[in-house]
Amino acid sequence: MDVKLLRIDSRLLHGQVATDWAKNANVERILIVCDQAASDSIRKTLLIQAAPPGLKVHVLTLAKMIRLSRDERFSKLKVLILVENPIDAMRLVSGGVEVSSINLGSLSFDATRKMITETIAVNEQDIVALTWLKKRGIELDYRKVSSDPKRDLWKVLCDKGLVNEEQS
Amino acid sequence: MTRKERILEFVSTSDKALTTKEIADALGILRNNTSKELNILVREGQLTKIAGRPVKYQALDVSPKEVVIQEEIVDTLPPSEPQTDIFTTMIGRKDSLKTQIEQAKAAILYPPHGLNVLITGPTGSGKTYFANAMQQFALKQGVIENENLIVFNCADYAHNPQLLMSHLFGYVKGAFTGAQEDRDGLIQKADGGILFLDEVHRLPPEGQEMIFYFMDHGTYNKLGEIAKAHHANVRLICATTEDPESSLLKTFVRRIPIMIQMPKFEARTVREQLALLKRLLTLEANRIQKNILVSEDVVKALLGSVTFGNVGQLKSNIQLVCAQGFLNCVDQVDQIKLDFEQLPQNIKDGVSHLASDRARLSKLSQLLEPVLTIQPNGSAEILSDSDRYELPYNLYEIIGNKAALLKEEGLAQDAINNFIMTDINVHLKSFYRENKISRTEKNLNELVDQDILQLTKNIMQMLHTESGYPIGENFIYAMSLHLSSFIKRVQSGKPMREVSDDLVTMVKDYPEDLTLAQKIRDMLEEHYEFSVPESEVYYLAVLLISLNSVPKHGKVGVVVAAHGNHTATSMVQVVNELLGVDNLAAFDMSLQMSPTEALNEIIKKVVQVDRGNGVLLLVDMGSLGTFSGKITEKTDIKVKTIDMVTTAMVLEAARKTALIDSDLELVYNELRDFNGYSRKPEDPSEELEDVRPRAILALCSTGKGTAQKIKQILDEILADELVDDVSVLTVSMVGLKDQLDEIAKNYRVIATTGIADPNLGVPYISLEDLFKGEHGKKQLITQLDNSKTWYVEKSVKPVVPEVDQAMAIRYLEQYYTFINPKKIIGVLWGYCDLLEAETDLHLSASRRLALIMHLGGVIERVLLGAPVTMTAEQEAEYTASVWKRAVESADDYLKEKLDLTIAPAEEYYIAKLLDTELLKS
Repeated sequence: MDVKLLRIDSRLLHGQVATDWAKNANVERILIVCDQAASDSIRKTLLIQAAPPGLKVHVLTLAKMIRLSRDERFSKLKVLILVENPIDAMRLVSGGVEVSSINLGSLSFDATRKMITETIAVNEQDIVALTWLKKRGIELDYRKVSSDPKRDLWKVLCDKGLVNEEQS
Repeated sequence: MTRKERILEFVSTSDKALTTKEIADALGILRNNTSKELNILVREGQLTKIAGRPVKYQALDVSPKEVVIQEEIVDTLPPSEPQTDIFTTMIGRKDSLKTQIEQAKAAILYPPHGLNVLITGPTGSGKTYFANAMQQFALKQGVIENENLIVFNCADYAHNPQLLMSHLFGYVKGAFTGAQEDRDGLIQKADGGILFLDEVHRLPPEGQEMIFYFMDHGTYNKLGEIAKAHHANVRLICATTEDPESSLLKTFVRRIPIMIQMPKFEARTVREQLALLKRLLTLEANRIQKNILVSEDVVKALLGSVTFGNVGQLKSNIQLVCAQGFLNCVDQVDQIKLDFEQLPQNIKDGVSHLASDRARLSKLSQLLEPVLTIQPNGSAEILSDSDRYELPYNLYEIIGNKAALLKEEGLAQDAINNFIMTDINVHLKSFYRENKISRTEKNLNELVDQDILQLTKNIMQMLHTESGYPIGENFIYAMSLHLSSFIKRVQSGKPMREVSDDLVTMVKDYPEDLTLAQKIRDMLEEHYEFSVPESEVYYLAVLLISLNSVPKHGKVGVVVAAHGNHTATSMVQVVNELLGVDNLAAFDMSLQMSPTEALNEIIKKVVQVDRGNGVLLLVDMGSLGTFSGKITEKTDIKVKTIDMVTTAMVLEAARKTALIDSDLELVYNELRDFNGYSRKPEDPSEELEDVRPRAILALCSTGKGTAQKIKQILDEILADELVDDVSVLTVSMVGLKDQLDEIAKNYRVIATTGIADPNLGVPYISLEDLFKGEHGKKQLITQLDNSKTWYVEKSVKPVVPEVDQAMAIRYLEQYYTFINPKKIIGVLWGYCDLLEAETDLHLSASRRLALIMHLGGVIERVLLGAPVTMTAEQEAEYTASVWKRAVESADDYLKEKLDLTIAPAEEYYIAKLLDTELLKS
């Protein structure tokens, strides 16, 4: 599968993703990979309805996503993958989904988390997952819209003292 | 000389009696105009009419050569002098609408200002029509002076009480943002007349309160005023499809003294049904200005095709078939013929619906002539703009013009018809969004040659005329695909198929089908001029047997019996509207009724819905639960009873019996365990997970021809849907049982498709559904994904999640950190309403939620001082956007409410959201 963009966003598919990222990533499908959403018919319906015109959206489980990524029949398919959190992103990459960079949209705040940018909050697990990804040479970028210059999230994590530079 | 004088002179100077057509042709006057003048002349005593066919006219002073009758002809032509009582032309005035009309008159004439009225009745039963008639009656009686019936549909603004109220009551300058001047509401417009509130059950509580106050006092206030300083003299007619005993309406019913119940189509007498049909056809004849010839079969089909939609549905169906007939007879000057064969399948099926009701059918047959001729009569029915079954333009003019245009461009007639039928369907989709006309064949065209399609039609014709072989919807697919693969095999020089002993034994039991297969063979040989081997005859026979076996398994019937005056009826009505099924009947048992009486009534219902496959009896309690044995004893129909009936249960029963061709025992067993849809899924760890991979079976007589083709198609769809774990297996009808056993070892069959349903208790997709077009296919397949059990949701609308403020609050809480959803939701909700009003868009539930979530982000970004930016390009795009003004004024509202400054880049994104909405709607 030809993954044009892997994006982490708590809200998965929403207006900005639909209008900006999906258009500029030049993809044929949007794959939303989230076990909860795949088994929640209301959420699934809402996500599918939020699709930008002309683009098809699928809501898949992690297991299925990994299976599809290995299926020859889909090797040419250009896709945008959305996951809810860094852990799911890590699972996908460890399952064989190939990407060179990951875009972080928003990670919503809760009591276990700490705000590190205006939209991104992380907890320890997230940091572990992000570190794991960084170690595999994957860029972590947190632009808001695709036309902005790239912004390195790893640098933010370092500045906040949440990770050691050497870890990468 | 006027037209009338010319006609009089011409007839008087003629030495023989003349027909309308002769007169019209000689004078060059339109036939219906001629007819109208002739009738006036007869009434004035200047001409006489001579009975016979066709009717002839002659001058009075000529001694009659034939028998003269001087009867009035009222029914086809209303007298030209103003009528005092509109109700005298209403169909059903002496029968099923008798009480209703008396009530209506009483309500209008009641001194001093009449009484308010609530009209109830199912969809399409004529509530709006009736309200219009009441208005006309009141006007003629001189009790009101306002000539217009003011119509307001409460559903239009039901989600926005403020807007609704401003429409109804008006507002004063400054009442809300955008209220730049005072405006009167509909109540004021209706002063001195009648206000018709349709779908009144959708009126929000605030609206009800104000309406009640207005009813009691005749005064009201506009939005933004405090004192109820305005006065209007308005009579109210409200209408609703709800059961008047539902809680929604209870408050209303208490306040409204007159309640008029419109009967559903089924409940009207056969004579009325026929009269309605004639009148609706006459409307079309008037539009086309041609005679419409309707055969007996077509009349039956049209009447039988009416299910939940009542007269409105009949009207839509008639518009559809007339449009089609008009197209087919576009070259004929004075008449169009409606041909049974050309009716869409769903209307054809009406004949079999009707056939199940013997009493109604026999009454109808007595009233019918072989061919019914409908003439345009030039009269203008009361038609109002508010009739939602009426097209806003003359469809026939459009068809005629377009056909002429396409012909000029040199298109073949077939192509023209095809093209225009698509158009017609678009125009008439109000009732049948999934119309099947011509789509069937169009899709088939992509799969098989025109030549084979034609041959298949000839075979259908032969089977129909020679043997009365029942031809179902599947036939044309199954047969043409079968032939197509056979011909290809012959042409490619591949060896012929062997005939196994199994096959011969199987076919032996069906000598009739074998004979028919031989006849088909003869046709093939004649057409292709090569000899068809004996083995093929057997395969053809298998095909015929398989296709024939479908109608033998009729649906399981369902009778719902419950205590109370409307309980059973309203459950059945809900389900009928959702699923449009025809195998349901309801029985309301009033508390005074004795069990014996109830039993007899239920038996009638059971007989009515039985299709030879047994009947499921759903009851609520008491003696009703003990009837099944007695019913079977008396009728020999298998009956199973389930108690504690609920609407969800009826829905499930209807779905299981109508959509899945299963037997009574099976449905009974499944339903007994049914606990409603909201049940939590059982803990998956408790049941042993079925680990066999999933499979769909494709069946055809050989397993190699049609089935292969289906497999190809399905594989393509599955890949397109990213379904990677469902296999499509091809299976032959011969030795089916053994193959199925073998398959069951390795696969879990989740659905079947092909020429016949093997009745495995899993959904069967007919070939027709499969080929119904891109959308149909994909919908079917999407449901496979991630589902353990799986139904074909044929006519059930997709679940649209209801989005309310509470849900929006939950989402906002979940994803945002710095805003307080509970406090802000009202503002965001209002923002959406305002945007809707400014743009005339209707935001779908999910769009509204998406927009609210987006706005949450906008506000949070402002709070954090982290605005988004836009490029010069985007800025230009936004400046040119049609939404700019609307978005800006909605933003002004937000700025004002929250004292925030919102960056233009944010407005750009909102405009883009609206773009998406527009593109998708």
